[in-house]
Amino acid sequence: MDLEALWLTLRLAASTTAILLLIALPLAWWIASGRGMARALAQAVVALPLVLPPTVLGFYLLIVMGPLTAPGRLLIHIFGHPLAFSFTGLLIGSVLYSLPFAVQPLVAGFEAVDRGYIEAAAGLGASPARVFFSVVLPMARASLLTSTVLAFTHTVGEFGVVLMLGGNIPGATRTLSISLYDLVQDGNYAAANRTALALVGFAMAALVVIYLLPSVRRSDGRQADVVR
Amino acid sequence: MCGAIAAFPAIAQANKELRVAAAADLQPVLPTLAERYEKATGVKLVISFGSSGNLATQIINGAPMDLFLGADFVFPEKVVAAGLADGTAPTQYARGTLVLWARKDSPLQPITLDSLTDKRVTAVAIANDLRAPYGQAAVAALKRLKMYDAVKPHLVVAENIAQAAQFVESGNAQLGLISLTAASTPRFQAEGTFVRVPRSAYAPIMQCAVVMKSSNRRAEAHAFLDWLLKPEVQASLVPMGLEPVK
Repeated sequence: MDLEALWLTLRLAASTTAILLLIALPLAWWIASGRGMARALAQAVVALPLVLPPTVLGFYLLIVMGPLTAPGRLLIHIFGHPLAFSFTGLLIGSVLYSLPFAVQPLVAGFEAVDRGYIEAAAGLGASPARVFFSVVLPMARASLLTSTVLAFTHTVGEFGVVLMLGGNIPGATRTLSISLYDLVQDGNYAAANRTALALVGFAMAALVVIYLLPSVRRSDGRQADVVR
Repeated sequence: MCGAIAAFPAIAQANKELRVAAAADLQPVLPTLAERYEKATGVKLVISFGSSGNLATQIINGAPMDLFLGADFVFPEKVVAAGLADGTAPTQYARGTLVLWARKDSPLQPITLDSLTDKRVTAVAIANDLRAPYGQAAVAALKRLKMYDAVKPHLVVAENIAQAAQFVESGNAQLGLISLTAASTPRFQAEGTFVRVPRSAYAPIMQCAVVMKSSNRRAEAHAFLDWLLKPEVQASLVPMGLEPVK
């Protein structure tokens, strides 16, 4: 079991999820709170990584982050080195790759919040921020959990983007999926099986515990009795 | 209905097609050769490129190929050892050359082998040394030239030699140990320069082929291999970056 690869993968998934939540929460709230062309376009753009093959995404990121393009030169200027073959480069790739998995459940969850509660809270004098944090977010708790879990696990399983962008550097870009792939390629099926089994076992245990949590099993508005 | 669907593979094969698994260093070479061959014989090559190790693994696990053109002797030999080859040994069809390549606009120009240990280098692209023969040659050469320890922290490992070339061509790696076939393409000649890695620094890259025993187009596969070994075809390999078999 490649512990270095496991640790790297967990760090990548955790960092990606944290950044994604910071981006996805305001974005999803904005999308869910109205209609129109701008929101439709935003949703389409957010959904793009679902449609693009991960290898294509990784390849174009490689080009855009490289010194041959203007954005790449800007990034090199900011960070001091090319982002390809680095953890930071992978982080950017992962954030884009898992973006729809973070945003879409939140949009669905926010849209499901009854307008009545929002209006009641506003009527009682709550600022939009207070409304979001005290009323909407608690009521969309289940979708927040879904969004977090999906973003995290999706990043753990990431392969194509890392293959195109990573350079297979132990400790920096050699994630568990790459490590597993290498083991299989080199015919070391025993080690590959052990790693895969451990990963699947851990994921199943974590997911079962999460989905058993009583407070998120049902969010049909019963907690909001306080409004009546 | 099921009969019609089942007949499709047979129909595809019947149209004089040869399924070829080809090492990634042949990516600039084989399409040109395939076009000539198709004009001459009417047989079309359907090519899948990859690292030799990758292809060997897939073939051993049942990938339906007629011919395997590897970039070394070892990976085709694995196919022979697995009892899947039509013959007792791989057939050499060319010899490969390892070069050090950099973009023309690189601050490292003019490059020499010593550029590998230049302080400004942060990424040197090579192919995977476990499954790509050019990657193995690169690591062997670095060790032989006593540069491996200095260069190792900067090594960026690509899936195959074609991806290694892409890493350095895109500017993300400042240097690349790539195949002469990649460096000989018009694009690479226009965009960069190369120096040959001394032959003495790595074991000869003897590119070998095997015909698959299970193939139902064995005769056509052997015919292509024989064509490839004809003196005039071997001579045409030189400007494309490969050397003829002695």
